[in-house]
Amino acid sequence: MSVHRLLPVSAFRRLALLAVGVLVWELVARSGMFSPIIVPSVTRIGYQFWLLAIRPESLMEAWYSVSRGLSGFALAAVAGIALGVLMGRSALAAACLGPLFSSTYPIPKIAFFPIFIYLFGIVSLSKVLLIFLECLYPIVVTTHAGSRAVNRVLLWSAANMGASRARILWRVVVPAAAPFIFAGLRIALPIAMILVIITEMISSADGLGYLVMYSLASFKTDRMLAVVVAIALLGVALDGLIVCLRDRLVFWERLDSYSAE
Amino acid sequence: MAPHTPQRSEAPRHSRGAPRYPYRLLPLWFFLVTLALWQIASRLDHPDFVLSPVEIASHFTEALRAGELLPHVGASLVRSLPGFVIGSLVGVVLGLMAGIARSLDQLLSPVVFLTYPVPKIVFLPIVMLWVGIGDVSKILIIALACFYPCFINAYYGARGTPTLLVWTSLNMGARRSQIFRKVVVPSALPLVFAGLRVSLALSFILLFSTEMINARSGLGFLIRQSESSLRFDLMYVAIVAVAMLGYASDQLLLLVRRHVLAWQEATSR
Repeated sequence: MSVHRLLPVSAFRRLALLAVGVLVWELVARSGMFSPIIVPSVTRIGYQFWLLAIRPESLMEAWYSVSRGLSGFALAAVAGIALGVLMGRSALAAACLGPLFSSTYPIPKIAFFPIFIYLFGIVSLSKVLLIFLECLYPIVVTTHAGSRAVNRVLLWSAANMGASRARILWRVVVPAAAPFIFAGLRIALPIAMILVIITEMISSADGLGYLVMYSLASFKTDRMLAVVVAIALLGVALDGLIVCLRDRLVFWERLDSYSAE
Repeated sequence: MAPHTPQRSEAPRHSRGAPRYPYRLLPLWFFLVTLALWQIASRLDHPDFVLSPVEIASHFTEALRAGELLPHVGASLVRSLPGFVIGSLVGVVLGLMAGIARSLDQLLSPVVFLTYPVPKIVFLPIVMLWVGIGDVSKILIIALACFYPCFINAYYGARGTPTLLVWTSLNMGARRSQIFRKVVVPSALPLVFAGLRVSLALSFILLFSTEMINARSGLGFLIRQSESSLRFDLMYVAIVAVAMLGYASDQLLLLVRRHVLAWQEATSR
């Protein structure tokens, strides 16, 4: 049953699986069953991807998406960690903010996007703030849980050795909560990516999400799929970055970093 | 079930000895004060797209009476519920199976964990191309997005089954199917519910964004359309309806969890 140990799946096997998938796609595309608009062949998608990668203007589109996503994410990380630690260490803050967060958590923030557009303009700011709002929740919740779960003995020892409150927060609480914080960051990052793409699809004139909708509307499905591949690779790369950062910073805790193997 | 349990499970756990009850009504006061401030602020000079809470409430009842709202709520639910049910069911079942069967684990897990950080919404144009622009494409995208959190949580839930429990039941002569039903599934359930909750929130995000991108009905469409025709009253009504729907479905899920997981009431919250 579940007794078996975690077996590392070799990179070779993953590559083989990927190759089989690509091959099946190519065969289906070449068989002539579907029109090339519906199922463009892998070679054409690859060619379009190459064009995307060498053209500076399409790299700019990618840069717009990444900078929006990351600035919203970074704002949410700073504010979320601060709020979460505060809630974890102060009963009053937890009583004020906890119910606020848990009651507004299930409300889909994307519904406020039109209001955000009116308030903050249709360019980047409304998107960044929406990403900030949606990413804040998982980071606050996990940081709160992490800083609440700090071993009391550590806090007592630190206080006993004369550490000030600020020093305890910075040297004991934050490192102890770090694994939780990174779990929250890892949940929030894909959400940031989803929201960048969605908001760019709904209303934008730049960014990868816009490029997807534009290519679809002009029936260039091979280019659309190339952009989709680029977005997917970006998502995987950013997630890998977070996992890498976590393994560097939280080196004392062996976490189950399955996808980082 | 005692009537105070719902509040308790959602309230943050305070450090031992801290007073709990004085803070009980604080969020309600916070909410009311915010509404009051908003109402007062709306007496000042403000742009057209800011409505006061009283105005929104009156527009809301008006829209309900005129039948402007309910058809869109229905259209949205017809899309989100099947998507959520299909996606999370497949996710939970496959996740549990991958958690206990090594061959399935090796087949599925690399694919799932590799594609997990990919924003699923980018597949909407492809799915639209393949199955058309109607409801099916939206249901499929919602199901796809709901699959991932459910799979991952069920997978770790099944893997986290205490080995001792499995050994004990093997020792007492339980069959594999019995162990699965009576040991693995119950011990995975808390995580499964955590996954379901994430999926539910995701299903709403994707529902409204797919409806904002292309639809002729539904709340996302209503928000978009009333925004572009400058009918801010209807826009706010739709946004309030979205918020209420999200909140209500989350509470429903928590209620189900409280019933199913009554045995672990105080432990892993």
